[in-house]
Formats: sequence, structure tokens, C-alpha cells
Amino acid sequence: MTTLTTWLRDHSPSSRLQARAGQAWLGWLRMRRNPLAMVGLTIVAVLLLMAAFAPWIATHDPIAQDLSQRLLRPMTNGHLMGTDEFGRDIFSRVVYGARVTLYIVTLVAVTAPVFGLLVGTVSGYAGGWVDQVLMRITDIFLAFPKLILALALVAVLGPGIENAVLAIALTSWPPYARVARAETLTVRNSDYIAAVRLQGAGPSRIVWGHIMPMCLPSVIIRVTLDMAGVILTAAGLGFLGLGVQPPMPEWGLMISSGRKFLFEQWWVATMPGLAIFVVSLGFNLLGDGLRDVLDPRSTAK
Amino acid sequence: MALIEIDNLSVHFDAGDRIVKAVQDVSLQVAARESYGLVGESGSGKSTILRAICGLAPISGGTVRIGGEPLKTPRGKGFSARVQMVFQDPYSSLHPRHTIDRTLSEPLAIHGVGNTDARVVQALRDVALDPTFRFRFPHQLSGGQRQRVAIARALMLQPEILLLDEPTSALDASVQAETLNLLNRLRAERGLTFLMVSHDLAVIDHMCDRVLVMQHGRAVEELARDDLAAARMTTSYARTLFDASADRMLDGA
Amino acid sequence: MSLLSVKNLRVTFDTEAGRVEAVRGVSFTLGRERLGIVGESGSGKTMTGRSMLRLIRPPGRIEADEMRFDGIDLLRASEREMRALRGPRMAMVMQDPKYSLNPVMKVGRQLTEGLRLRDRLGAGDARKKAIEALQAVQIRDPERVMEAWPHELSGGMGQRVMIAMMLIPNPDLLIADEPTSALDVTVQAEVLKILDDLVKTRGMGLIFISHDLRLVARFCDRVLVMYKGRVVEEVQAGNLMAARHPYTRGLLNCLPRIGGPREPLPSLDRSGTWAEA
Repeated sequence: MTTLTTWLRDHSPSSRLQARAGQAWLGWLRMRRNPLAMVGLTIVAVLLLMAAFAPWIATHDPIAQDLSQRLLRPMTNGHLMGTDEFGRDIFSRVVYGARVTLYIVTLVAVTAPVFGLLVGTVSGYAGGWVDQVLMRITDIFLAFPKLILALALVAVLGPGIENAVLAIALTSWPPYARVARAETLTVRNSDYIAAVRLQGAGPSRIVWGHIMPMCLPSVIIRVTLDMAGVILTAAGLGFLGLGVQPPMPEWGLMISSGRKFLFEQWWVATMPGLAIFVVSLGFNLLGDGLRDVLDPRSTAK
Repeated sequence: MALIEIDNLSVHFDAGDRIVKAVQDVSLQVAARESYGLVGESGSGKSTILRAICGLAPISGGTVRIGGEPLKTPRGKGFSARVQMVFQDPYSSLHPRHTIDRTLSEPLAIHGVGNTDARVVQALRDVALDPTFRFRFPHQLSGGQRQRVAIARALMLQPEILLLDEPTSALDASVQAETLNLLNRLRAERGLTFLMVSHDLAVIDHMCDRVLVMQHGRAVEELARDDLAAARMTTSYARTLFDASADRMLDGA
Repeated sequence: MSLLSVKNLRVTFDTEAGRVEAVRGVSFTLGRERLGIVGESGSGKTMTGRSMLRLIRPPGRIEADEMRFDGIDLLRASEREMRALRGPRMAMVMQDPKYSLNPVMKVGRQLTEGLRLRDRLGAGDARKKAIEALQAVQIRDPERVMEAWPHELSGGMGQRVMIAMMLIPNPDLLIADEPTSALDVTVQAEVLKILDDLVKTRGMGLIFISHDLRLVARFCDRVLVMYKGRVVEEVQAGNLMAARHPYTRGLLNCLPRIGGPREPLPSLDRSGTWAEA
């Protein structure tokens, strides 16, 4: 361990890999000083583990119905969080639901920000009519409330998890484009961009190799902060029956079906609601912590 | 024939409601292997001339010729291989997320020059930096070390002309001395032509053979080095600048 | 009695990269005189100046055996007492007026705000005092400057406004941190002269922090030369040319001079034992 830390702390790294690893290590040390960010990281890590080891963690089959066991209170007959109206174990459904949530979150996180980043940096660097056209398109997407637009898209595409992801991704890229463009505008006129232009670099090399790395941190921070929103939108679509289809365990869908029993059997809707709450909080805290680590302004010196 | 010929150069910026005339009708000629200085206070347009040569500021009037050829827009790779620039602030002229290695190998990649590893290490040695700096990030370097990296980057493509925009004004006095010595050594070794901008008359005097004093975007007076040292200036502005120069303070006190 | 006395001042920062000592045992006393602190970046000169006002942010810490201003123990003073000292009794002028003036407030309002809030003057009286202060820094048309926004002022004008603002409450001690470094040479001379006259006529103590040895020597009575958080030499400004310490000599010699020889400038030799201590 000590040899690894000295390798990471080496002020004169001897390879690209070591240089990167050393920077990451410093970032990790900075992050560790922020207890709330560590709470967020723990929550996200638990979510990951839960999704990965769902079959081992879950106590029951999440879709097996047993009408004799329906609507049991939490902590009865080995049902940690009770059962729902079909006698399915809510704890197991929440655990398996983590897979669905993570699937949606991951797919959105690898599509929308990448697209937004591309649009934003190109728009900001090119300026002129390219900027005008791209930003007006962005404005059109921004003009509609996110959920309404997603609803419309799902209505056209048909319900289902893939279409839900597509709808969410299509509605959530504009803020990333905006963030990336704003960042690009501040970076565009800096001396180091002028220097690489002077060396004869073309626009694609400048945007890809020099501008994007500067915009990436703000976009990553924005993504983690938005993850809560993505989970909620997915849950909202599920709740309205337009996202994941039953009997697949999805948290939004579970709340939707528990709504009917909210006053007598509160746990049916509350348990998945708590899961959404905790995971959203986790992503938000993590995003706040990442801001301190990744923000180029705070690491300038 | 002069290597850099600037005839009646004007640079105008459109600032919304009015036109800012940053440079007006400036002419100068720099011979090959000469070191030419531009001196003036902020807003005198001295840096704008360098930026106009590089295509970072628009040429609104007049012509600039390098080696007899008029400049093309965009400047192109041939220009990059002949003319390079060192910027004033070493804290903003290096990409904060690129290692020194990346910064120095980028021009080679753009121009398709091979043998990157050896060239990067040699470039670091040329500016008296230890090769162990190669994989550091700019924020792990001091201001003087960063400026050395910036000089090394400018020399990667082996240009004949170096445009120096206040290369030492952000540095400490002792680091300034080392950087100026480095620049002079490189000029002698490689036969470089310098066009150097500074607000410090003493620095310009130390580095340059001829000086053009500028004020409010116009050329005021051109002085040879001997005339400057002997205070043989004819315009009152050049004399004001000379009298206010920091190194006169001790004598004048 | 001296106005300010500092014994064994240390400023330390605990960062993730380890402990950084920015100031390591600086001692000096100041009467109603002009004291220069000179050093290169990282020498701790700015931190020394800021420590006097206790303006060091965490994780920075100030420790000293003694730090007294006019009989007041600055180390023990409460934050409330410090606020009462900052401004009325000890003032600071920073390097760049661009960052010290509030960009969304007219100059006049920034100048009168303190007078109206702290001294409870009426609008008319406050305005009169502010205009007097602007005249004291030789601004010819103070009425116009009062109505200007900070971005409409040139660098030299902005720095004069800053000086005027700091001098309105008539402080006993002025700490000027590189007050002219962002200015053109011709403007620099004017601003320095104004500062000099004000300090003389009002009998203030002045701590003038700068990287420029020649400037400080001309402007101050006494000079402390700092290197790596320590004072390596204290000299009378008039005798600067007779300075003994290799660092001070090195700083003087490494500057180019008009008409000087073309040979390489002597570089600073940091190999001596003094550089390690």
C-alpha cells in the first residue's frame, strides 16, 4: 500500500498513466474530506452492489405471486418490507428494481450528455450561424416541460423501457448543450487555444482535444445532479404506465400500484418511494462533492 | 530584403456601437536574425500587432509580408512552421488538463512529425528543464518553468520567427533574468528572429537591436539601441517613458 | 511606542499535499514610517501583510509570539474588535483595482457607504467628504468620477479611487500590497507620489509590499527582504546598494538596465546555506 501511495504521490511521474493516476488520487483525497459526498458515494455504491447481487440479496422471487400472502405488513412472515396486492415481496422487488433504475440511469448518462456536449462545444466554438441554428434547436427542446415532451415521445413510440430511455435522453440533452457552450465561450479565447491554433490545428482537433476536456467536469457534475431528475422522470413514466411494463419491478410503477392502498397499506407505495428518495439524494450529494474535485477553477492552484 | 515587412498596418475591432482602432498605420521592418522591440503602455496596440500577424486579430488595412510573401487567411500550416508566439501569462497559455508531454507533442502530431519521444525530451533539455518534468501538469510547475515550457512549445516546429508578447512580465525578477538569458541563447544558437513586445524599456533594451515606441495605436518613434542608451529620443512621449522606466529610479532618487 | 510590533509570526496552511509554511518567524516593529517588504512570489510577503488584518482564510493559521497594534493584542482580539480595526484604523490597498471595487455600484456610492453606515453622516456631508478624498488623490473632476461605474475608470484612476476610499476614515496604518504593479509606468509614478504625500502629511504608518526592489528603495525608509517565508535582510532604503545579503544583491543585479552590457544577466545563486534555512 505504501509503495502504491508513493507511486501516486510522485511529483515527477514517469508515464502518462502515472500522471493521470496521481491526479485522480489527489481528487480522491479532496473528495474524502467532504463527508456528505462520501455519504452520496456510499449510497451510489450500495445501489450498484444491490443491482449486481440482486439474486443473492433478494429473499423472494420478485414476480412470484402468492395471493394468500397479499398486503402483509413489514416484518411479517419473513417479508422485510411487507408484500403488495399480489403477495409479492416488496423488499425483493425494490432490490431488483435497482437493476431497472440503474439501467435507465446508465443509458441516459451515456447518451444525453455526450450529445449535449458535442452540440454545445461545436456551437460555442464555431459561433456565427452554426451557433444560431444549434442554439435555436436547443431552445425548442427547452421550451417544453421535460415530462410532457417525454410523454409525447413515448405516446408516439409506444410504451416500454427502451422507449422511455430514449424519450428521457431526448429531453435531457439541452441543458448539457447550454452548459458546454457557456464553458466553451470562456475557454475559446484563452491563450492556450490561441497557441494550438497557431500551431496549425484544425477545428475538430481543437474542439475534441482541447475544449471538450475543459467542459467535461461541469457536464459530469451536471449529470450527477440530474440523475435524481432522471430517476424521477423514469418513475413518473412508470407511474403513468408509459415506461416499464408490469410485472417488471420498477420503483415508479410500484408506487403507482400502491397508490390504491395508500391509506390502509401505506408500505406498498412508501417503500419504493423511500428507495427513489435515497438514491436521488445519493446522486445529488455525490454531484456536489464532484464539483469540488473536478471544477477546474478550484484546482487551478 | 527584410524578413518581416509591415506596411501601414491597421487593426480595427467592432465593439458594438463603435469601432475601436487598436492599431493605425504602423509600418516596420525586421531583418532576418534581428531582434526588434515594440514598447508602449497598455492600450498602445503593441500586442495587437503580434496577434494580427498570427491571425488572432483582423488586419483591417495595410499589408504584412513574411519573407516577401503576403499572409494568407487562414494562415495555414506553412505559416505555423515559420512563425510561433510566446504569450505573456504562463498561467493561461498552457492547457490546464494536458501534461507537459501532451502540450509539447501536440504540434508534432498536427504536422505529422515522427520521433515524438526523443524530440520532446530534447525540447525540454533545450530550455534547461529536467526530463522528469515531462509528465507533470502545468499546475505542478512554477511560473518560470511554465514559461520555459511555452518557449519549448513555440520551438517544437523549429520556426525562424518568434513573436514574444511580454514573455517575462508575469515573472519574478530573478526568473525574468533566467528567461531572458534563455531566449538570447536560443536566438544565438538557432539564428532566430525576434519581434518582442514589452512595457519595460530596460527589458527591451537588453534584448533588442531596434525599438519602436508606440502610443494609442500609433508608432511614435523608432530608436536604435545606442540612441536609447544615450537618451537621444526626439519625441516627448518617448522621453517620458524613458524617464519613468523603473531602472532610472535608483539613479534619479 | 511603536505603532505595530510583530514577533515571530508564522502562517501555516494544512493542505492535502501536506503542511505548507508560508511565513516562518517574521519579526519587525513599525512606527509612523514607511516600511517596505520585498520578495519574489512565494516569499510570504502578501501573507505577512494580510496577517496584520487577520485576513487569512482557513485552512491557513496565524501564530505569533506577539502581534500588537497600538496596544491592542491582535492575536486575542475578537472578530468584532477586528472589524472595528479594519478600515477605520488599519486599511489595505490591493494590487488590482478591477477586483477591489464592486462592479455593480457607482464609485460615489462605494465611497460614501462607509461614511453613512459607520459614521452616520447625512447624504450631503458624506458626499462632501468623498469629494474631498478624491481631490486628495488628485482626481481633477471628482464630481464626474463619483457618478462613474468602476469599469469606466482606467487602471490608474481606479487605484486612486481605492486609495481615496481607504484613506477616508483616516487610518493609522496603511498596508499597500503591490498597489502599482497593475499600472503603466508613467501612471505608477503619479500614484506613488500621491501615496507618499498622503502618508507624510497625515503621519500614517505604511507597509509597502512589492516585488520591485528599486521601487521600494526609492519609496520607503526601511526595507525587509523576504525569501521563503523568512526575513533574510533588513536594510535602510538609502543604503540598499550596500546590501550585504547574497539574495538582496542577486535581486538587484539580475535586472536589466538601459544601456547595460549585452552579456547574460547574472542569475540568482540559490545554492548558499541561506536558501535552505
